[in-house]
Amino acid sequence: MFPFFELANLIMTYLLAVVVIATRHGRGPSVVASVMSVAAFDFFFVPPYLTFAVADTQYLLTFAVMLVVGLVISGLTVRIRLQAEVARQREERTAALYAMSRELAEAGAVDDLVATAARHITEVFGAEVAVLLPDAEGKLQARRNKARFPLEENDLMLSRWAFEHRQPAGLGTAMSDAAHAVHLPLLGHRGPIGVVSVRPRRRDAFTTPEPLRQLETFVNQTALALERTRLADEAQDARVRAETERLRSALLTSVSHDLRTPLAAITGAATTILDSGARLDQRVQQELVESVRDEAERLNRLVQNLLEMTRLESGALQLHRDWHPLEEVIGAALSRLAKRLANRRVTTQVPPDLPLVAIDDVLIEQVLVNLLDNAIKYTPPESPIRIIATATDQAVTVEVADHGPGLPRGEEDKVFEKFYRGQPAGGRGAGLGLAICQGIVQAHGGRIWAQNLPEGGVAFLFTLPLTGTPPASVPADA
Amino acid sequence: MPDPVVVLIEDEPQIRRFLRATLTGQGYRLFEATTGADGLVEVGSRQPDVVIVDLGLPDVDGIDVIRRLREWTAVPIIVLSARGQERDKVTALDAGADDYVSKPFGASELLARIRVALRHTAGASHEADDAAFTIGELRMDLLHRQVFVGDREVRLTPIEYKLLATLVRHAGKVVTHQQLLREVWGPTHTDQAHYVRVYMAHLRHKLEAEPARPQYLLTEPGVGYRLTTE
Repeated sequence: MFPFFELANLIMTYLLAVVVIATRHGRGPSVVASVMSVAAFDFFFVPPYLTFAVADTQYLLTFAVMLVVGLVISGLTVRIRLQAEVARQREERTAALYAMSRELAEAGAVDDLVATAARHITEVFGAEVAVLLPDAEGKLQARRNKARFPLEENDLMLSRWAFEHRQPAGLGTAMSDAAHAVHLPLLGHRGPIGVVSVRPRRRDAFTTPEPLRQLETFVNQTALALERTRLADEAQDARVRAETERLRSALLTSVSHDLRTPLAAITGAATTILDSGARLDQRVQQELVESVRDEAERLNRLVQNLLEMTRLESGALQLHRDWHPLEEVIGAALSRLAKRLANRRVTTQVPPDLPLVAIDDVLIEQVLVNLLDNAIKYTPPESPIRIIATATDQAVTVEVADHGPGLPRGEEDKVFEKFYRGQPAGGRGAGLGLAICQGIVQAHGGRIWAQNLPEGGVAFLFTLPLTGTPPASVPADA
Repeated sequence: MPDPVVVLIEDEPQIRRFLRATLTGQGYRLFEATTGADGLVEVGSRQPDVVIVDLGLPDVDGIDVIRRLREWTAVPIIVLSARGQERDKVTALDAGADDYVSKPFGASELLARIRVALRHTAGASHEADDAAFTIGELRMDLLHRQVFVGDREVRLTPIEYKLLATLVRHAGKVVTHQQLLREVWGPTHTDQAHYVRVYMAHLRHKLEAEPARPQYLLTEPGVGYRLTTE
C-alpha cells in the first residue's frame, strides 16, 4: 500500500485489525495483536525498512501511542463483549426465574415445590441440587428430588451452619470457600425454612458474585413459595381446630343440657319419695319410681350415643365383620325395643332369599335401633312402622319408614348432622342418633339417606354393599 | 331347701349396694368380695349356688377369675359387663361363664338369670324330668324327638333338631356361636359361624309366627342366642 497511503492512515488500518480481533477473540489475542501491529508497522513502514531499527526517534512516540491506543481499544471492546454476555445471561436467568415462580405458584404440596425448584436451579446453573427441610425433630433432611447429590459430612455441617446463621456458606462465600457446594438458607418471614445446597458441575461457577446473587433470588423465590404453602397448611389446621373447638363446645352445651334433664327428673322423683313417701298414695309413688327408671334408661341411651360418636370420631371404631342374615339383625333390634314398640304395629318385609351380608352385627343393630328410636320419638304413638329389605346384585337396601309428619322440606340431608334435632320433640335427645347411623353405614361402605314419602311420613334408607366372597354355602341336611 | 347362697365379686360400691338390697330382699344369702383374689377365697369357703363376677375388677381380669374358678368348680357363673363389650362377653362365656347381664340392668333381668342358673344346677341331678320342654306355643318332646307349634307337628331336619335340642338343654341361658358349632357340628367346624346363623333362620321360619320378630329364639348380637323361658 505504501507509498499510496499516508503513514497515519496505515496506523488506523492496524488499529481496526486490533478492534476486530478484540471483538472476536477476547483479551489475550487482542493484546498480542496490539504488540504485533506496532512491531509490523516498525518493520515494514519505518525507515530503515525491513529492520526493527528506527532512524527517526520521533517514531518511538508513534509506537507508544499506537500500543496504548491498541491496548485500550482491546480492553474496552472485551469489556463491552463481556457485559453483553452478562446481560444475556441475566436475561435468560430472569426468564428462568419467572418460569420457576409461575410453576411454584401452581405447585401445591411441599414435595412438588421442592421438585420444581430443584429442577429449575439444576437447569439454569448447571448444578446438582439438594433441598433440606427440618423434620419433626428439627433435624435437616434432604427431600427427594431428581439430580440430587449425596450430601457429605461437610455438606451437612455447612448446611446446618447456613440454616442456623441465616447466611450462605460453602463455595463462593466467606464461610468455607473451598467447599464443593454452596448452601443457601431458605429464609421466610418468621425465620429459616430450610437450606438449598447447590453443587455446580464447574468449580468456577460462583467465582464472581453475580451468579451467586442470581442463585439467591431463585432460592428466595423458593422460600416464598414454601412459606406460602406452610401458611396455607397452618390456616387449614387452624380452621380444623376451630371447627373441632366449635363442635366440642356444641357437644358440651348439648350434653350438659341433655344429661341434666333426666338427672333433674331422677333427683326430683327420688327425693319426693324419700321425703314424703308415706303420705303419697300408691299410684303416685309407682309413677315416680317409673319415671326414675325411664329417665335412667334415657340417660343410658344418651351416654351410649355419646360413646359411640366418640368412637366413630376418633377412628377407634373397628368393624368385626361376619356373614349375617339381615332378618336376624332386624329381629334383634326389634327385641331390644320391644317394650317401647308394644303399642305399635311393626311390619317387616324381608325376602327369604335375601343374601347374607358381611357386616358387624352389633353396629348394624345399633343403626336399626337408632332409626326405630327416631320413629318412636317423632311420630304419634300407635302409628305404624315398616321395615323393608331388598337386594340387588351390588347391595342390600334396608328401609325404615314411619307414618309421622315427615321431615321439613330441604332438611333431608341436615338430619344426619351432629346435634341436629327434629321438632317438636326437640330436646328429647342429643341429636347424635342419625349421625352415628351415618358413621356406621359409611364405615361399612354403604350410604344412608332420608326421603319424605308421598303418602306421608319419612323413610330412612341405607345400603350395605355385597362385597367380598360369600361364605361357602351351608351344607344341606336331609 | 335352704336359701341359695350367692357370692358377688364386684368393686363398685353402688352396684353392691343395689344388689345387696335386691338379692337379700329375694331371700338369697349374699357374700361380697371387692377383688378377684378375695372372690376366689370367698367362693372356696362359702360353696355358693351362684357366683356373680364383674368383668372390670381392680386387681385381676374378671376372665381370669372365671378360668381359675372353672379349674375346680362347676358353680354357675353370671358375668356383669357393659354394653359394647361383646367380645369380652364372648371370651367370658367361652372361658366357662354361664350367662351375662349388661350394665345398666334391671333387677328383674338379673333375678331371671339367677333363676335359670339355679334351675340348670338342679336339673343336672335328675335329667329324666327334662324329657319335654314347653314355652308358649312351642313344645319339644325330647323322648320321641317331636316338635310342636300349638297342635301342629313341625318337621325338622336332623341338624335343625340338634340345634334346637342344644338350645333347649341350655334354655334361658345365652349360648355362643362357638358352643353351638361345637355341640351341633362338632369341633372341626368352629370357624363357620354363619352355619349357625343360617340354621337359626331356618328354625325361626319353622317355629316363629314372625321370623323377623322372634318370640322364642332370641338373638344376642355379637354374642349368640338365647331360647327364652319366660
